[in-house]
Amino acid sequence: MNSIINIGIPSKGRLRKDVLNIFKKKKLNLISERGERDLFASIKGHKNIKVVYLHAREIVQRLGDGSLDLGFSGYDLLKESEINIQNKISVLKKYGFGKATLVIAIPDAWLDVQTIADLEEIAFQFKDQKKKRLRVGTKYPNLTREFLFSKGVTQFQLVDSLGATETYPFTGSAEIITDITSTGETLKANNLRILKDGEILKSEGCMMISKNTQKNKEIQKLAKLLSKN
Amino acid sequence: MKSKNLSEKILKSVKSKGFKYIELPSVIEANHIVQRSGENFRKFIFSFTDQNGNELCLRPDLTIVSCLRYLENNLKGKEKIFYSGQAYRKSQNKKDSIIRNQIGFEIIGSKDEKNDDKEIINTSLKSLQSLKYSSGILTIGNVEIFNLLLSKLDIPKRWRLRLSRHFWRESYFNDLLKRLETNSDVDPTIVEVDKKRYIQMLKQDQSTVIAGRSVGEILKRFNDKIKDPRRTNKGQRVSKIIKEFLNIKCPISQAAKKLNEFFKKYKINLVVDQKYFPISNNKVSKLNVIFSASFGRQLEYYTGMVFRIDIKSNSKNKNIISGGRYDKLILDLGSNKPVAAVGAALNL
Repeated sequence: MNSIINIGIPSKGRLRKDVLNIFKKKKLNLISERGERDLFASIKGHKNIKVVYLHAREIVQRLGDGSLDLGFSGYDLLKESEINIQNKISVLKKYGFGKATLVIAIPDAWLDVQTIADLEEIAFQFKDQKKKRLRVGTKYPNLTREFLFSKGVTQFQLVDSLGATETYPFTGSAEIITDITSTGETLKANNLRILKDGEILKSEGCMMISKNTQKNKEIQKLAKLLSKN
Repeated sequence: MKSKNLSEKILKSVKSKGFKYIELPSVIEANHIVQRSGENFRKFIFSFTDQNGNELCLRPDLTIVSCLRYLENNLKGKEKIFYSGQAYRKSQNKKDSIIRNQIGFEIIGSKDEKNDDKEIINTSLKSLQSLKYSSGILTIGNVEIFNLLLSKLDIPKRWRLRLSRHFWRESYFNDLLKRLETNSDVDPTIVEVDKKRYIQMLKQDQSTVIAGRSVGEILKRFNDKIKDPRRTNKGQRVSKIIKEFLNIKCPISQAAKKLNEFFKKYKINLVVDQKYFPISNNKVSKLNVIFSASFGRQLEYYTGMVFRIDIKSNSKNKNIISGGRYDKLILDLGSNKPVAAVGAALNL
């Protein structure tokens, strides 16, 4: 059994730092031949392991198509991915770092809106009186759609966002947003308020494995080592 | 080959009832679907973008395409139409086919509501003659009765609307009833704090718009909410009445009697005539005909009479026909006035 094990690590941000720390702790020395900008790495003494630095969202996709065997990413990104991708991935370990919550935020000045029940009413008012749909700016269309629908908010339109979602309600791009937050400070600073029952999903950094290869002994061994704190 | 013969037989029988065959486009603008059914429908549709950046999709359902045709061709007056073809939907269940063969027939733009309802049911029954079955059930309901009942109940207006809007989503509706029985939806402490902000905002220009809503609009709704609180004990009574209403299920000939007894019991000022229902015979074409007050909950767009036919064939139960009245669908699709519509679809 000398097959190559492909591992995906986030290419930037807090998540990357925290994941690299785990490797360090386990004395797995990551080496990139061409320096810091190299997107590939190997592990000293483990010739059969190949590490790729990827966007955290892409790590989930690559685990889904089987081109990665093991990967590190956020729980939110896994849950946001298409159902057939989720079905091909197992979460092996939740690390407790990178904690954040996906929430619904509305303009703070919408005094009358405190709960999702209020939002449900507003959404129908937009449809019936303004002949428009309430627009929701988000980087998480799947999770947002499912959550809102489960809470009775059926009349809305999603606006895909790639960043700075907090500005959407005030630039005319959307009326409300959903976004990932850890302290809520950024939302507050941008005159937004989290709905009282507006928590969609709690997320943290995870180790995930492609179900295709989870029976492989070598990978299991490595995963076990990486999941011990 | 067998099923082709069958569908030809059915189409023939629909045609013999005076319906006109129409062809419907396979691809429509995705926007129409989202406008009608909200974002959740996006999960089911196969969509793609054309060279102009418009989002298109394969038709997920034929009724909506037929209503779009009426709207976009500026048709006026009564039309009796039928169509057949494939509808395409994604499914969470891997075993389900993405293709559904549908035959549908509709009466659009007619004002003769009660007779049209009857005609759609009779046409459904006639098309059944092409099928082999030993027995079955024709279930009839009417969404309108529920909405009339709501209008007579002592609950805040926003709750009335909320219950009406979510009648068709059973599990969420039950959550609403639970909430109606228990906790309050206005948090008193937050209302106190916000009063200060409220007074500040009163001094602002009331036409200032914040994320699509004017200050005046926000304050008005805030006021309405405080002035129209919901009392828990009343909520419990209302919930009890609604639950009992939804449990009414009986042979169709007794529908009016049962409903009137119920209204009397709770001193609700409503009376239903048996003529209100499209059928009064308890047995037609080997089917038991029943009335169910809770029926009509699968689809958001039904506004009045709803029905479904389940048949037993080779000891298997199968839902073969579903239909009803959807007077607001064409309005939702963008018409400037409501157009009455009633129809049914056969799933082969």
